[in-house]
Amino acid sequence: MKDKIKLALAQISSKREDKGANLQKIENLTSKAKEEGVDVAIFPELCLSGYVVRDQFYEMAEIIPGPTVERVEALAKRTGVHVIFGMPELSEKTKATLFNTAVLVSPKGYVGKYRKMYLPTHSVFEEKRYFRAGYEAAAFQTKLGKIGLCICYDIFFPEVIRLTRLKGAQLIVCISASPAVRRSYFETLTCARAIENTVYFAYVNLAGVQDGLQFWGGSRLVSPNGDVLAKAKYDEEDFVTCEVDFNDLRTAETFVPTLRDLRPELFDKLKEHSEKI
Amino acid sequence: MKLEPSIFDIDYSEIQKRTCRFIKEYVENAGAKGVVLGLSGGIDSNTTAALSGLAVGGKNALGLMLPEEENFSQKDIDDAKVVAEKFHLETAVCDMTKVMNGFYKGIPVFDPRDRLCKGNIKARTRMIYLYYYANKFNKIVCGSSDKSETMMGYFTKWGDAAADITPIMDLYKTQVRKLATHMGIPKVLALKPSTPALWPAQMAETELGIKYETLDLMLYGLEKFMNPEEIADQLSIPKSTVDKVKARWLANEHKRRMPLAPKLGFRTVGTDFRLSRNTY
Repeated sequence: MKDKIKLALAQISSKREDKGANLQKIENLTSKAKEEGVDVAIFPELCLSGYVVRDQFYEMAEIIPGPTVERVEALAKRTGVHVIFGMPELSEKTKATLFNTAVLVSPKGYVGKYRKMYLPTHSVFEEKRYFRAGYEAAAFQTKLGKIGLCICYDIFFPEVIRLTRLKGAQLIVCISASPAVRRSYFETLTCARAIENTVYFAYVNLAGVQDGLQFWGGSRLVSPNGDVLAKAKYDEEDFVTCEVDFNDLRTAETFVPTLRDLRPELFDKLKEHSEKI
Repeated sequence: MKLEPSIFDIDYSEIQKRTCRFIKEYVENAGAKGVVLGLSGGIDSNTTAALSGLAVGGKNALGLMLPEEENFSQKDIDDAKVVAEKFHLETAVCDMTKVMNGFYKGIPVFDPRDRLCKGNIKARTRMIYLYYYANKFNKIVCGSSDKSETMMGYFTKWGDAAADITPIMDLYKTQVRKLATHMGIPKVLALKPSTPALWPAQMAETELGIKYETLDLMLYGLEKFMNPEEIADQLSIPKSTVDKVKARWLANEHKRRMPLAPKLGFRTVGTDFRLSRNTY
């Protein structure tokens, strides 16, 4: 595990229903990341397909690992950069059961995936119409350290991030496709999730407009004590590099020891009461 | 939540920025050479014109002035020109009188006394002009409908609401006026009373039977799922007034959607054929 790692917040806009063009963008920016000495290049939620593709998700989805992941594996191997990105996943056991998935690929190959647990289906969002919810938090051991994954609306549910942290993640990456009307929520919650879990929290959002939805960008790295260490432009595509210093976790955990002070018995109460809501 | 005028005091710089970006990206993705819009001299079209001019550059934003004999108003034309000049729009004037007279003479059952049916021909004829220019010059039609009128169904079906994009449709009239002022449109134009100009002396607030300041607060409450009792109570108006507005809003959903088809197939246009609006 390295003490310090460099991230690239690759805040791209996606070309809808054009996996080739989006993959090309991922390849170009990962090559750029390599030139800048980046360890992990992070791309937004469903950036492979576009976020608003509706029924076309059925055509865009792939088994993971599958052809796209294989191409990203070659990319990671070629550049030596870890890559995290979002894509629609087709369950290998069915013909049309999809997941909204984040994928982590290392220079040694496919590491793992996280299937979004909380699928927004309200307001302009219709994810449950297309996707099945995931059931497992994800934290993967890499040579860089333990990296956790979550996706967009998951951030509103502290238990997802907490579980990811408790699985040992020291850097939690949240890939997102958040429209501009929700900006203030995410700006608050990214800091909250970092502070309450004493964890590095990297948030990478889409940019651009899809079907009238304007994605606000604003990707960021938040330190375990809630400082925004790096921030990408609002609304537009951007590429920002930043550094994670895992040594800072120790300071944060001693200053506000939320993990030490966890009360497991309260989780039982939470379960009991949430079943009765 | 308090229903008070200050709820419409939002960040209009941000609204302007986002709306301009929306227009610009749509035009670029569509591969179009700008927009064409109707310039009536009213607040909605003036604001849309200003946004379009800023978004795609005045040279790429064509404002069509579409006067005709019955509703001719030099003042409206002058008001439209003020904004067109300020935001450097290209303009053209098309007198629709001959076309209108052609319709009046050509429709066997035409009845000049039925002013609504007659007025709707005007709104739809304006749409035909706009789409002709759009087709001819590879532009997209930029509509000027606002949220108040759209929610109330106060527009002509397939007429003034027919467009490729409608940049201010998510803004209430009160907000459009504030955005206009923010963008430097003269206050006298921003506060000018609205008219669909389907017949002489037609005024929107008179027809709707309520001031936009009050209507918009009622609609805002309905948007936020407030119940009519609560809205009436907060605005100190009879509940029956809110009920009427709510009923009108709900009754006009047919004007805001694709035509309804019976569900016969696996996936149906306008119902569950759920595709994105891919413009590229």
